[in-house]
Amino acid sequence: MSAQSRATSVVRMKDGSRPRKSWLKQIWGLKILYLILLPGLIQMLLFKLLPLFGLVIAFQDYSVFNGILHSDWVGFKNFAAFLHDDYFWRLVRNTLLLALFNLLFVFPIPVIFALFLNEIRVRAVKRFVQTLSFFPYFISSAVMVSILYRLLSPQGGLVNEVLNSFGIQSVFFMADPNWFRPLYVALNVWQLFGYNAIIYLAAMTSIDPNLYEAAEMDGASRWQRIFRVTLPSIRGTIVVMFILAIGQILTVDLDKILLMYNPSVYDTADVIQSYVYRQAFASGGFPNYSFGAAVGLMQSVLAFVLVMGANRFSKKFTESSLF
Amino acid sequence: MRKRLPVFDMTNGSILVLVVLACVYPFVLMLSTSVSDGAAAASGQIYLWPKGLNIETYKYILNNPRLGVASGMMNSLFYTVVGGLVAVTVTYMTAYSLSKKRLKGRNVIMMLFLFTWVFEAGIVPNYIIYHALGLVNSRLVMILPTAISTFLLIITKSFLDSLPGELEEAAFIDGANDWTIMWKVFFPVSKPIIATIAIFNAVLIWNQFLIPMIYLQDSKLQPITVVLYNLIINSSKGGTSFENIVVNGVQLLPQNLQAAAIFLAILPILFIYPFTQKYFTQGMLLGSIKG
Repeated sequence: MSAQSRATSVVRMKDGSRPRKSWLKQIWGLKILYLILLPGLIQMLLFKLLPLFGLVIAFQDYSVFNGILHSDWVGFKNFAAFLHDDYFWRLVRNTLLLALFNLLFVFPIPVIFALFLNEIRVRAVKRFVQTLSFFPYFISSAVMVSILYRLLSPQGGLVNEVLNSFGIQSVFFMADPNWFRPLYVALNVWQLFGYNAIIYLAAMTSIDPNLYEAAEMDGASRWQRIFRVTLPSIRGTIVVMFILAIGQILTVDLDKILLMYNPSVYDTADVIQSYVYRQAFASGGFPNYSFGAAVGLMQSVLAFVLVMGANRFSKKFTESSLF
Repeated sequence: MRKRLPVFDMTNGSILVLVVLACVYPFVLMLSTSVSDGAAAASGQIYLWPKGLNIETYKYILNNPRLGVASGMMNSLFYTVVGGLVAVTVTYMTAYSLSKKRLKGRNVIMMLFLFTWVFEAGIVPNYIIYHALGLVNSRLVMILPTAISTFLLIITKSFLDSLPGELEEAAFIDGANDWTIMWKVFFPVSKPIIATIAIFNAVLIWNQFLIPMIYLQDSKLQPITVVLYNLIINSSKGGTSFENIVVNGVQLLPQNLQAAAIFLAILPILFIYPFTQKYFTQGMLLGSIKG
C-alpha cells in the first residue's frame, strides 16, 4: 500500500460512510505499475499465447493465401496423414531410440562426475575441474558440430589421422548411419555433463558433515562414503531431475539434428521434429504447414502425458515429486 | 586406513583433471590449427602446438565479404547486445510489477506466463504468427521472441519478492512514484540478478541457430552460427566454401580457415566466461530451487 492511499482510507466522507475507492480508481492509482508491466505482457501475448491459437491450422488445410480465418477445416486429416506416412515408423523409432540412448548416458554421467568431483579435497583442483567442465555448455551447437566435422573429417581430421597411423582406413563418420546415434549422444554428453553436474554438487554441499565423520568412525571406505552417504543424500535431487528428463524425452535437440544430419544418414537420424521442419521449411515445393503443426501437436501431447506419468510413478514409489 | 586415502585422492584427481582437459582440448586444437600453415593442418600434423605460426587465416576470412564471416560476427554482436539489453529491461520491469502485491490481476498474468511456458506452440504455429507479425527477414526476430524467458522471469521475481517492503515505503513517503522507485531504489540492489539475466540471454542469443535458419534467409542478416553452418557443414550442398590459396607465403586451405572461423565464433564466449561461474550457477540454482 502506498502512503497516500493509506492516508485516505482513514478519512470519512461527509455523510459518514467510509469512502469506498472504486475499482477503477484503484487501477488508476496503479497506472504506472501497469505501464511497467505492459511491454512484458504484450511480448507474452504476441509471441507465446497467440501462436497457441495458431495451432488450429493443424485441423485445417492451411494456405498462406487464405490465412487462418479462411482456410478449409479438415478435422483430423493431417493427424491421420502422419500415422499413414511412409516414414512414420522410422521417425518414431529414431525419435525413441535417440531419446533412450540420451537418457541412458546424458542423465547418469553428471551424477557420477559430481560424486567423484565431490571427493576431491584440494579446493583449487576441484574448482579448476568444475570451471572447465561446463565450458562446452556455453558453446553453440553450430560451433560444436563444426568442430566435430573438423575432428572427424577424412581430410586431415585428427581422428582419422590417428586411425591411419594405426593402419586403419579413414572412416566417413558423418555420412555413416551407424555412427549418427553414438555421435549425437557423445556430443550431448560433452556439452552437458559439467553443467548438469552443478545441481548435484550444490545438493552435496548441504549434506551434514557429521554423517561423513560418523561413517569414518565406523571405518567406511571412500567407496562406501560415496555410495552409502553421498548418493542417498542427493536421491531427492536425482529423482526430480529424472522426472524433468522424462518430460524432455521426446524433445530432441533439433538444432543439433539439423546440424549433424544429411540425407545419407536419414535412416537413423531423421526424427519427428526434423521431418516437421523439412515439411514446413525445406520441402522445396509447397510448404506443408498444417501437417507440421499437427505432428508437432501430437508430440507435445505425448510429452505432457509422459511427464504426468513419470510424476505419478515417482510420487508412488519414491515420495519425491515435482508437483 | 590413512594410507589408502591419498591413493584414492591422487587417482581420482588426476582422472578428473584429464577428463576435463580432454573436453576442452578440441577448442585448443581449433586455435592452434587456425594459426598454422594450411599444409600442416591438411595433413593432420597438428596435435597441440601450431606449425608455422601466423594470423593470415584471420586476416583472410575477415577481409573477404563473400564468406560472410565478418558480417556474421557483426550481426551476432548486434543481436546479442541489443537483444540482451531489451531482455534485461523487459524481464526486470515485468518481474518488478508482478512482485507487487497491490497489482490487481497479477496472479492471472503469472498463470498465463506459466501456461505459455508449459504449452509451447511449436515451430510451425510460431512461424505462421511471426510471419503475420512481419518477423521474416527482420532483425527483430532475434530480439523480440526471446525477450522474456519465463524461467528468468520467475527467478527475478523471487529475488524481488525477497527484498524487504520497507525499501519502497520510505520512498513513497518522499513522494517518489513507481517508475522512479523501480530504477532508483530496487535496480541498484538487484545487480546480481540483473547480471544473471544478462549472461543467460547473451549466451542464448549468441548461440541461436534454429530461429535464424527459419526466419533469416537474407544472408546480410545471418548470425555467425548460420554462417558457420554454410561454410563448414553445408559447404558441399551448395553453401559458400573456402578456396585454396597462398597469402604471404602461408597456405590457406579449408582446414585452417574453417578452424579460424570456428575459433572466432567462440571468442566472445571466452570473454564473458569468467563472469559466468558466479552468476550463471547462482541463477541456475535459484531457478532449480524455486521453479
